[in-house]
Amino acid sequence: MRGTTILTRLLELELIVVTGKGGVGKSSISAVLGRLLSDAGRQTLLVEVDPRENLHHLLDVPPSGGELVEVAPRLRVQHLLPRTILDDLVREKLKVGPLVKRILASPIHQHFTEAAPGLKEAAVFGRCLRLLEGHGPRGVPTPDVIVLDAPATGHGASWLGAAQLVSDVISSGPIGHMASLVAEFLADPDRSGVVVVTTGEEMPVQETLEFLETMETRLHRQPELVIANALYPELPEDTPEDPEDSLFDLWVHRRAINEAELDRLSREWDGPVAHLPLLPLDPGPALVGRLGRRLKTELGGGA
Amino acid sequence: MIKLEQPLIIVVGAGGVGKTTLAAALALEKARSGDDTLVMTFDPSLRLKDTLGIGEQKDDDEVEVDAGTSGRLTASLLDARRTFDRLIESYAPDEETRRRILGNRFYDHLGGSLAGMMEYMASERLFEVANSGRFDTIVLDTPPTRQALDFLQAPERIVGFLDTGGPKMAAKAWFDEKGKLRATKKLGILGRNVEAFFDRMVGLELLRDMAEFFQAFAPFFDGFRERALEVQKLLRSPETVFVLISGPGPQRVADTLFFARKLKEAGYHLGPVVVNRVHPGEVQTGIAPPGTETDGRQLLKWLGSRDAEGVNHLRDLLGASHPLVEVGLRMDEPTDIESLGDLGTALLG
Repeated sequence: MRGTTILTRLLELELIVVTGKGGVGKSSISAVLGRLLSDAGRQTLLVEVDPRENLHHLLDVPPSGGELVEVAPRLRVQHLLPRTILDDLVREKLKVGPLVKRILASPIHQHFTEAAPGLKEAAVFGRCLRLLEGHGPRGVPTPDVIVLDAPATGHGASWLGAAQLVSDVISSGPIGHMASLVAEFLADPDRSGVVVVTTGEEMPVQETLEFLETMETRLHRQPELVIANALYPELPEDTPEDPEDSLFDLWVHRRAINEAELDRLSREWDGPVAHLPLLPLDPGPALVGRLGRRLKTELGGGA
Repeated sequence: MIKLEQPLIIVVGAGGVGKTTLAAALALEKARSGDDTLVMTFDPSLRLKDTLGIGEQKDDDEVEVDAGTSGRLTASLLDARRTFDRLIESYAPDEETRRRILGNRFYDHLGGSLAGMMEYMASERLFEVANSGRFDTIVLDTPPTRQALDFLQAPERIVGFLDTGGPKMAAKAWFDEKGKLRATKKLGILGRNVEAFFDRMVGLELLRDMAEFFQAFAPFFDGFRERALEVQKLLRSPETVFVLISGPGPQRVADTLFFARKLKEAGYHLGPVVVNRVHPGEVQTGIAPPGTETDGRQLLKWLGSRDAEGVNHLRDLLGASHPLVEVGLRMDEPTDIESLGDLGTALLG
């Protein structure tokens, strides 16, 4: 595997979007990548957008509640709500207090921003771009890289296509302008990249393959890396089959499913795949640490 | 084992917990017990699609499943965009309106990606089928989303949206024949502010597309509203039961409690909670040859006790009102009729 080059590439990017089917461990992997990049010297910001915060559990810090939380000298985490970003945008553009209040309270504004295709997603990327350009809060170092713990790769509407969609529909005004900048940023392989997380099971692999295709056709891009997470361990050699041993049997079968699905993935995707094990650890700093060491080895960066 | 007597069974839960497979298994078991059953699904795996025989044809037609059941088993794959298109086709007052909507740029972008559209269209479809009286039991799988309640709230959101007057306002003749924005004095100060704001934020082009879309769409509003209210009523009626699917891990248990609370708060009838893919707890370990007590066994033992703890915790917190059913992690994923049948029997037996 082209390990060293992948790690080098990840260290050069300004935005890494982590996505995958629901329940595959996106947040854990985002935390792992955040640690990996900040340990390597990059000023790193982890951003999560799920309405319910997860990352603080994994990093053992208090929940963000929208604020920047310092995890380590070069690692911070922040919870962003698309709704809040859009409201901030209204405040910034209108500037007149009473008018802002009326607009924000207007059900039409709320429904429009809630329902407009791609707007919320584009707003999150727009905020990331601004933070990277140094428009963050004073006294906080400008991040070199943002790791975005993105929502699940749903069917159809993908986060990554959102900015392009908005920029196609809204061709003028500040939102249109922002969307086209974001679309450009997301199309630039020197600045942004995607990491797709899956498990070695049928549905997550299927969704990964569909996502790879969408990315190719809509963005003409490929992810930097696919991470196959939560794999059952390899079987030892020369273990005699014991018909009485149901636990061993289950292991054999689940591992076989993992291997079949990883085969299917590699038949249709010739890019790099890193394998991470299912570990007897609940989500938390210990799990992040173990997975981080393993990923570094997988990417050829030494243990 | 649980009992589900209600004619409408809605399967909910976080993404990746196996909703679709369990929905299919429930439907199969219902059909075996003699009910004419429909399973409506969003996101089946390739193998499950094969088993049910859906997805071959381009549209979301119903397919009869040859499973040797005494009641008829029918499956359909939901496609939001197609349902939307079909709705327009069948309710548009004339050919001109139909063409105006289907050809509108705003609609083109909207169909696939508008928030809640998938969910809303599923409820439209549900309303259609439930009213047809063609089935004894309908099992509805819900879209893969962390916010599973989106689906249930879609009809309410549509009603809320229509009641804001936004669409009616948008449907007014905002633009003259030359595509220039008309003066909007009549709308009062808020109307002017909102309009000026949108103009500044998004530009006139989008507003023009939207206005045209809403104008063409206006004849549908009343029907939308009416059906959305009916669906709301149906979802809360005693004829409808929600089966909540959970995964076994600690994170999943938290998700499930959250859903259970939200469902009850919103007045839905929550039935059994199914914890899917539970690792075996008390296992027959056999006589392990020396040196084979490797990672895999230890891991599975750990997972077994983790899951047992999670299930107990969930059972305590749910209380006696919601029966909890454990479904063990299988050797292989159930995708053929036989293994789906086993799963169905384990659930409803």
